[in-house]
Amino acid sequence: MSTIKELNISPVGRVEGDLDVKVYMENGVVTRAHTQAAMFRGFEKIMEGKDPQSGLIVTPRICGICGGSHLYCASSALDTAWKTKLSPNALLLRAIGQATETIQSIPRWFYAIFATDLANKKFANKPLYAEVVKRFAAYVGTSFQKGVTASGRPVEVYALFGGQWPHSSYMIPGGVMCAPTLKDITRAHAIMNFFRNDWLEPVWLGCSIERYLRIKSWDDLMAWVDENESQRNSDLGLFIRASLEFGLDKFGQGVGKFLAYGTYLHKDLYNTPTVEGRNKALISSSGFFDGKNWSEFDHLKIKEHVKHSWYADVPAEHPWKEPFPTPVQSQHLADSDFNGKYSWAKAPRYDGFSAEAGPLSRVIMNANPNNLNHQIQDPLFGDIITKLGPNVFTRTLARVHEAPRLYEFINQWLSQIDLDGEFYIKPEERDGMGFGATEAARGALAHWIEIKNGVIKNYQVMAPTTWNVGPNDEQGKSGPIEAALTGIEIEDPHDPVEVGMVARSFDSCLVCTVHAHDGKTGEQLAKFKL
Amino acid sequence: MVNILWLQGGACSGNTMSFLSAQEPTVVELVTDFGINILYHPSLALEIGEQVSDLLHDILRGSVQLDIFVYEGSVIQGPNGNGSMNNFAERPMQDWVRELSNVAGYVVAIGDCATWGGIPAVPPNPTESTGMQWHKEKKGGFLGEGFISKAGMPVINIPGCPAHPDWISQILVAISTGRIGDVLIDDLHRPKTFFTDFVQTGCTNAISFSKKIDGGFGKRGGCLFYEVGCRGPMTRASCNRILWNRQSSKTRANHPCLGCTEPGFPHHDLKKGSIFKTMKYLGFMPRELPNGASRLGYFTLTATTKALGIAQTDPDTSK
Amino acid sequence: MANVLWLQGGACSGNTMSFLNAEEPTVVELVTDFGINILWHPSIGLELGDQVSTLLNDILKGKIQMDILVYEGSIVQGPKGSGTMNYFAERPMQDWVRELSQVAGFVVAIGDCATWGGIPAVPPNPSESTGMQFHKNKKGGFLGAGFVSKGGLPVINIPGCPAHPDWVTQILVAISTGRIKDVLVDEYHRPKTFFTDFVQTGCPNAISFAQKVDGGFGKRGGCLFYEVGCRGPMTRASCNRILWNRQASKTRANHPCLGCTEPGFPHHDLVKGSVFKTMKYLGFLPQNVPTGVSRMGYYTRAGVEKVMGTVERVLGVEQEHFETSK
Repeated sequence: MSTIKELNISPVGRVEGDLDVKVYMENGVVTRAHTQAAMFRGFEKIMEGKDPQSGLIVTPRICGICGGSHLYCASSALDTAWKTKLSPNALLLRAIGQATETIQSIPRWFYAIFATDLANKKFANKPLYAEVVKRFAAYVGTSFQKGVTASGRPVEVYALFGGQWPHSSYMIPGGVMCAPTLKDITRAHAIMNFFRNDWLEPVWLGCSIERYLRIKSWDDLMAWVDENESQRNSDLGLFIRASLEFGLDKFGQGVGKFLAYGTYLHKDLYNTPTVEGRNKALISSSGFFDGKNWSEFDHLKIKEHVKHSWYADVPAEHPWKEPFPTPVQSQHLADSDFNGKYSWAKAPRYDGFSAEAGPLSRVIMNANPNNLNHQIQDPLFGDIITKLGPNVFTRTLARVHEAPRLYEFINQWLSQIDLDGEFYIKPEERDGMGFGATEAARGALAHWIEIKNGVIKNYQVMAPTTWNVGPNDEQGKSGPIEAALTGIEIEDPHDPVEVGMVARSFDSCLVCTVHAHDGKTGEQLAKFKL
Repeated sequence: MVNILWLQGGACSGNTMSFLSAQEPTVVELVTDFGINILYHPSLALEIGEQVSDLLHDILRGSVQLDIFVYEGSVIQGPNGNGSMNNFAERPMQDWVRELSNVAGYVVAIGDCATWGGIPAVPPNPTESTGMQWHKEKKGGFLGEGFISKAGMPVINIPGCPAHPDWISQILVAISTGRIGDVLIDDLHRPKTFFTDFVQTGCTNAISFSKKIDGGFGKRGGCLFYEVGCRGPMTRASCNRILWNRQSSKTRANHPCLGCTEPGFPHHDLKKGSIFKTMKYLGFMPRELPNGASRLGYFTLTATTKALGIAQTDPDTSK
Repeated sequence: MANVLWLQGGACSGNTMSFLNAEEPTVVELVTDFGINILWHPSIGLELGDQVSTLLNDILKGKIQMDILVYEGSIVQGPKGSGTMNYFAERPMQDWVRELSQVAGFVVAIGDCATWGGIPAVPPNPSESTGMQFHKNKKGGFLGAGFVSKGGLPVINIPGCPAHPDWVTQILVAISTGRIKDVLVDEYHRPKTFFTDFVQTGCPNAISFAQKVDGGFGKRGGCLFYEVGCRGPMTRASCNRILWNRQASKTRANHPCLGCTEPGFPHHDLVKGSVFKTMKYLGFLPQNVPTGVSRMGYYTRAGVEKVMGTVERVLGVEQEHFETSK
């Protein structure tokens, strides 16, 4: 007997605002899903007509988790608009800020947000379940406190150069505010070293960073897991084994197209910032991957759609040409019309395609055979995406895969800072258009600015979550999370944990639980942890 | 055992991120060693959804005691005062906040958005945001000027964008160890123990300030007050006394203080010429001066008083 | 890999204790991760007796390379220059020090006793103590004004009673990360990165200092310079920038700075009226005024400064420069 159920899932958890999900199921399989961003904040509108540097103060405060990434974009957008000069030191200190924020987020996100899902009762009959609960359960898991506490260390380095984390504005057009001294550099090395000794090698990898970085393929990775007890039983080893045993590699595929803006501008290759020169100056490369081929990233191919968003209708446009959005009345999830407007998020599209942003996109770009010499060349995820495809497991693996490499980068960049060199070159303020982008911990982030008569005429922020959580576009095509939810099999409709895990694998910010209601009767079906 | 409920409205989660960086005690130690029972927190709790709305209803009915209600983020009242721009657990968040505030022992507003409205409240204030008991510099806000919680205190304001983890955790420890009587609050409802010092207190450039030596971006040393808009001399907070992330502070890293613990942040509502620039009076004198200094006095005071034995001002202190 | 030998002469071990408090990096991390190989240390060395003198002789013979000699404590030269008041491994310590200094890549004096003689050298200096390359504020000391180690530097002085752990560990990290060229030393051979700031830099009472507001024991706030002898304005050290034990500093805890990173500590040689009292000139003016300021100037400047400064800026007069260092 075919049964159709509509589930209203509210809230799924904060993703740049509150996320709600509407799911239509047939025989336990999701046939259609809609994502709803449930809060409006209007930060872009606040900047209209204000000081051109407002973005340096306002945008980091859009997100307390990725504030340094917003700052990286805001300062870059002004650099391109004002045609500044950047010293190698300035580029290094900005890259260090971005990298320390991202590496901080890896243990904080993995333990506090993701891994607690593995302790869900859905997996209670699996052999590794007991060990997973012992290690990853919230608060009491043996690795939980260790990982959450360790996550505070890398941002101490951020504080040495930015004064504090979160919410510093130390990256400014023309460079950085600080002019660090020897003792700041040596201490930064030592703090990172502590992070490695305290968590990264003994708890997470079970081996040296050097050993881990030798992994080049899926087979290498499997061989690494089985190489010895230390690696098998490390938190990473356990995560890989449990994911495969629990079947996390079997659901949450998504749209199969990937977008990364890339980040970490090379100290000697972006001293004269331009939008056109950006791609070649990146250390972690940008690009678009359609499932088979890589193509060069061009920000002019981005358009935002608002047909299904709670904003007054305007044609889909590139952010430089978009007006500030005009909010219209929203509805509760249960009352929403999914053929009409149903989310506070806009729907961005790249060259017309819905695309996934995030660590998985980033490491796929790292595998692009056309990467330049100074760019990361890591074939691992080119291989993994061919063999396993995108899913909950590969998305999470991509996220944690970056930690060892970032550790190496941070140390390398610290050692390249020239204490006798310049840190700031005062720019000339002028009107113009600017574009700044980076890779926040959870994916592609960009700012577009237009300055006219010495004030902000237009400011557009597009967050990675906008890419992933956005609703349908003008053509009715789904956003990445909507697509990833479609087709999943919900084993127990009274505990649809699969929905949560898919959304979570796109790197939502915070731990949440959702509840589900029967769309027709309003009867509560289940509570479940996301 | 002290029961705490933490909710987020128009928030970026920055205060939560800051709180998670706390040491001595860490968040986990607060729970395990200091008798803090976190009923719910959006990023720490395992319960949410129906369990949360059940919990909220239990609190409102009085079957669960709420000792401290911590609120992060602005209170979103838009559009048109109905609050539906921020729904939570099937209701506008503002409705939950109003009712929970009435049953809580203490109400703590954390961060600038919750205290005075913060960035969301900058004109044109598209979300109709306000703070719990202030709207920018004006007392009142969402709960109204006269609001007093059950334990007899107004909203305790812990401002900052974000608030320093110590400002949060030490106040929670003070309450849980029975030292609430030692928590004095100033006229802006900030705990005096953290908000009596100025950001300049302990700033490494304070001597440059008194010698009137300019600093600037990318340079070492010099005071950021005169040219790049540092608000350290007129902003009360302990940033340079207890440091951030155990290491530093904005002004120690040559970053002008933004004045984020004072109502009105972002100051001058981001208007042209107000960002990282000192607003000038008569073209060359800083328009805003250190707290307690009259403009004329500021230029003529100091040196002679000591030698002539003129009565000294008492240093501003608090327990 | 840098081989470090650490010896103690007329020492209280306070610098060693301070060093063991180090974090980022800890002593253990220095050894395991930053390539510091501690050949021997009196508190943590495993060797004893003959093994130590064998090691020292191997170093002198060149069989073992010694990159850094760290010396803690005064050089005890008594009685009558013989040095027998401080024997070590069957010889006067001063003899070991003289010979080891000649073969070391770099020589580091740690703490006031090793740098300038410290408390042991206060008259009548019963042990005939002196510092490695300074005797109080006079250059010379035990090794002589002209001493230069094999690595091309004079004795690197890390004063303080005790020295802050970072002042040692960060210099060792600088060496191990190839940044020795970034270690600049001042006229007293102190690394500028730590000894350019004054103790007053970052002191919470600096504004009270400028406003001439007195502090005092058992009170909150106010400056300790005017009455209880704080030497923060004339003492170079990063105590209020990087803090002690991760938490505080003397002046943050309302304790007058004793000036222990400057040669001459204990200042005024403990003469009557010099301890926790500001020595007065004409009965009410502090006898010691902040470094870089003339006494007359000090009392007349502050108030008119801003007006003058503004006029100067408008007229385009060059502004006062101030010292910084990387």
